[in-house]
This record gives sequence, C-alpha cells and structure tokens, in this order.
Amino acid sequence: MSEQSSTGGDAITVMVVDDHPMWREGVARDLDERGLKVVATAPDADAAVRIALAVRPRVVLMDLNLGARSGVHATEAILDKLPDTKVLVLSASGEHADVLQAVKAGATGYLVKSASVQELIDAVRRTAEGYPVFTPGLAGLVLGEYRRLADEPEGPAGAAPVLTERETDVLRLVAKGLTAKQIGERLVVSHRTVESHVQNTLRKLQLHNRAQLVRYAIEQGLTDE
Amino acid sequence: MPSAVDMQRPVEPLWRGMLVYRTLTLASTAAVTVWRLDDFASPAGAVAVLVAMAGWTLLTSIWYVGGRPDRRLVAIADVLVTVAVMATTPLVQSPQQLAADAPVMGSIWTSGAVLACALAYGVRGGLLSAVAVAGALVAFQARMETELGDIQLMILAGLTVGYAATVLRRSGERLREAITHEASMAERERLAREVHDGVLQVLGYVKRRGAEVGGQAGELGRLAGEQEFALRTLLTTGPVMTDAQGRRDLAAALRMLSTARISVSTPAHKVELPARVVDELVGVVGAALANVALHVGPDAPAWVLLEDVGHGVEISVRDEGPGIPAGRLEAAASEGRLGVAKSMRGRVMDLGGTISCDTAPGRGTDWIIRVPRAGVARNERTVVHRR
Repeated sequence: MSEQSSTGGDAITVMVVDDHPMWREGVARDLDERGLKVVATAPDADAAVRIALAVRPRVVLMDLNLGARSGVHATEAILDKLPDTKVLVLSASGEHADVLQAVKAGATGYLVKSASVQELIDAVRRTAEGYPVFTPGLAGLVLGEYRRLADEPEGPAGAAPVLTERETDVLRLVAKGLTAKQIGERLVVSHRTVESHVQNTLRKLQLHNRAQLVRYAIEQGLTDE
Repeated sequence: MPSAVDMQRPVEPLWRGMLVYRTLTLASTAAVTVWRLDDFASPAGAVAVLVAMAGWTLLTSIWYVGGRPDRRLVAIADVLVTVAVMATTPLVQSPQQLAADAPVMGSIWTSGAVLACALAYGVRGGLLSAVAVAGALVAFQARMETELGDIQLMILAGLTVGYAATVLRRSGERLREAITHEASMAERERLAREVHDGVLQVLGYVKRRGAEVGGQAGELGRLAGEQEFALRTLLTTGPVMTDAQGRRDLAAALRMLSTARISVSTPAHKVELPARVVDELVGVVGAALANVALHVGPDAPAWVLLEDVGHGVEISVRDEGPGIPAGRLEAAASEGRLGVAKSMRGRVMDLGGTISCDTAPGRGTDWIIRVPRAGVARNERTVVHRR
C-alpha cells in the first residue's frame, strides 16, 4: 500500500519541483546524499503534474512560486490523481495566503527554504510516513482559517468544519513554538496523539475544501455524474 | 461632447464641434441671403457664392473629419477661400447694401476658418487667421468703426479656441506619458519580483551550504541567512497601510516584527482594528520581545501568535527562558519599580483589555494579551462591524 516505488529498496522516492535550477539541483543532491531517492525534478507546474503521474513519487517537494501556474495548482492536480503521494511545500517567499491554499489543496507540510538540510531531510521522512510537517506560522494560519470559516455564513459545502477543544489547544501550542514532545508533556498525552490531532486539523480543512470544489463543479456542470 | 475622449487625439471633439458650428452658420447665412436676394446687385452672383460656400463646407468637412489632406494645409486653404468669398462683396452687393452696412459675403460663416486655424495651429494660428479675416472684413466693407465689435469677437474666439486646443494637446501628451510610465513601472515591478525571488533562493542556498561546510563559509552562510530573512519579511509584508476609516491590519503589523529568532504566527486574513489600537498592541508586543532579549538572551527564540477570536483579539508572546518566579512581578510593582510588566499592563488596560502571564521556573514565559473589539469600539467612538 505504502510501497509505490517500483525502483526497489525502501528508499523514499522524491520529486523536486522548483523553477530555480541551482536550488533544484542542490536540493536533489542533498536528498540523494542522505539516502533519499530523487526520481525526478520539474521546473514548472505543468511539467510537475505530467512527470509526477509518470514516476509516482512518494513525496513531492513543491515550491509555490513557479511563474504562470502556482504550486497550489500543481499540488491540487497531483493529489487528485495520486492520493497516496504526499506534498511538502518548500517555499522561499513564505507567502501566507499561498501556503494556506496549498495546505487546503492537500499539502501535508510546509517548510521555509531557510530551513537547514537536516530539517529538510527530517521533514521529507516525516511527510513520507504520513505525518504533517508544521511550522508555528502554518499552525497560526490554520487556526485563523478555522475562525474565519466559523464566522462565514453557511457556505454551499455545508457547515464549516470545527476544531475540537483539544485540537484547538494543540494547534495553539504548535503556533506558540512548542514541539510535539513538549505539547504531549503539557497535555499529558503521547506525542503520537499530538501528531494525530494536528493531522486531523489538516484533514478536516482539506475535506471541506474538497467538498466546496465538488459542489462548485456540480453547479458549473463540470462533472459527468 | 462624447463622454470618452480619445487621448491619442484630444482635440477631436473640438473639430467635430467646429464642423457643426460651420454647418449652422452656413444655413443661417444662406437663409438671410436668400431672404434678401432682391437687394443684391447680382442675385445670381450671390447664389453662386452661396453654392461655392456650401460646396467648400462639405469638402472641408470631409477633409477635416478624415484628417487628410493634412488638416493644417486645409485650414490655410480654408482661410484663403473665406477671404475670397468676402472679396466678392463689392461685386455682388448693391451700393445701397454697402451703404447700409449689410453683412459682408459669407457673414458669420467666415469665422469657421478662424476656428479651424486655431484648432490646427493653436493660439498663434487662431490669432493670425483672425487678423487675416478681420483684415478682409475691413478691406471689403471699409466701415472699420461698425465692425470693431465683430473683429474683437473673432480675435477673442481665435485666441481662446487656439488656447484650448494647445492645452488639450499638451494634457493628452502628459496622459499618454503617464500611462506609458505606469506600464513600465508595472513591468519593472514584475521583474523585481522575479529578481527578488532569485535572490531569496541564492541566499537560502548559500546559508544551507555554508552551514554544512562550516568555518568561514559557515559565517558567510549565517550572514546570507539573515539577509534572506530580512528580504523575505520586506517582500511579504510591505508597508502596513491605514485605510480611509483609520483602520489597520494588526496581522501585517505584527508580521513586521519577525526576525530569524522571532516567529510570528497570524491568520492569513486581515485583522483590522483602529490604527491607534494597532500601534499600541505592536508597542506592547515589542516591549515583551525586548524583555525576552534582555532577560533570556539576545539570540533567544520567541514566538508571537495572533488569534482573531471574533469578539476581540488574543496575542501570545512566548519564550523558553528560565521563567519568572511566582510573586516576583508583584514584588517589583509593590516596590514602586515601574517594570516592563507594569507599563505593558497599563497600555493594554487603556485599550480595555487584559494581560496575563503564564510562567513557571524552567517553563519559559507566555504573555497573553486580550483586547475586546467592543472595548476598542467604545474608546474609539466607532461601531465595529464584524464582516
């Protein structure tokens, strides 16, 4: 199930999407040197979607600033066809609105490019294992998005998603810079439980986003059934 | 006047207006001439002049509207033909008419050529053609004193219309320049964004490579990292503007505080509050962060979180320092020392809010600032509408 790589071994297959050649090659080399398998690179959103469908990587490392079509678009398109693939956003500009959009489109993590190589490798491994990669900044964005949705009049996709009290607490502590371990200690739960709470907050947001998109598509007559 | 003026040809509406004026004056002159046809020494001559005027008016209208041949040449020809029409006066009018100071041949129609020259050549053209037509008026009617008013009016018309044409042309040029300038600025901005993105990438890359290589390269990498952070903050936040209602985005204002050691988390949407409240809150958060640098260390990390809770805002400023032992804040306050805490508390209370401190030895310090929107609204005497 999780074994999608046809190239053998248990190396995590990665695709690097970035419009900047130096960065793209540099990151690819860093990942290769540390035991991850970079199976493809792509310079823009369209190529990213095309190549991803061909090589089916476990993790896509996605830049958001890709020129004409953004990484948000590519994230959506890739996850639509390859639900088992994970997308980790690696962005230089830290554009908060774009990051939120990418996460709503299904990306499960976000890292700024100034992160160290070790942080990047850890983040890719965690993403491959299905864990979300959260920065405090992303937690603040997600927390804010739930508040915004709650204040909105009921949308076409039904009631807005709500966080449980525990999920809100966890997100807030992530936004305040605590690690999963520190949060677990504070709330007296295991750090795995903390991870699953964080994961739930993303999943609900993504489901809501998907429901909205489907509803929109039906309204516009874009679906066959 | 058409509602939308073509900025490539700003004088165009005036040309159309001139042609309408020309046609109307032709009609009135023809009517008066036909009505008084019996007075003329040569009625056939008068009619011939009228037919020539009508033909010329039609021809010039086509030329003026089409813009070819060159309007400037047509305008000169127009003045010459007009003078020629006026020159027929002694030939077709009877001595009685001349003595009675009947209108010169062409009458009011003759002023059209002056307007055309004014439009084609500006003030100077208007003035010169007015003098030429006025000269003809005097020459073929020889009653200077009675024509003085007409001459003054004609010169005035030539001057004002010429001036208007000049001004319109100039402002049209300026508008064109401004639009070209704006387009080139937008293009420059787009290029700048691309360059900035490239610079960010390179700085980020240098930082990573430097950290790996270590030594001197590590120092270079650290410097690159600082610059990368500064540039990214500048690019993603921009100046925090106050809108027309005097409100400002608190989220954007707080994001400006982020550095390599300070992480600022906010919602993606705007959190708008009166500008004064935003300034105060940014000041309080800044004081808390300065306190972290002072008591925990200049490189100690700190985290700021802004939450929009609907009825108000909540801001948390957290560090992982040694924490503040219980009672120390109160002790400092009771000793009369105006510590940072007290000044922060005072500022927040002025906004109708509360500030609390979640701390314990070894657990760091977490300042939590809560400011209600209602309190803000009362202080500001404005009603705050939530979306």
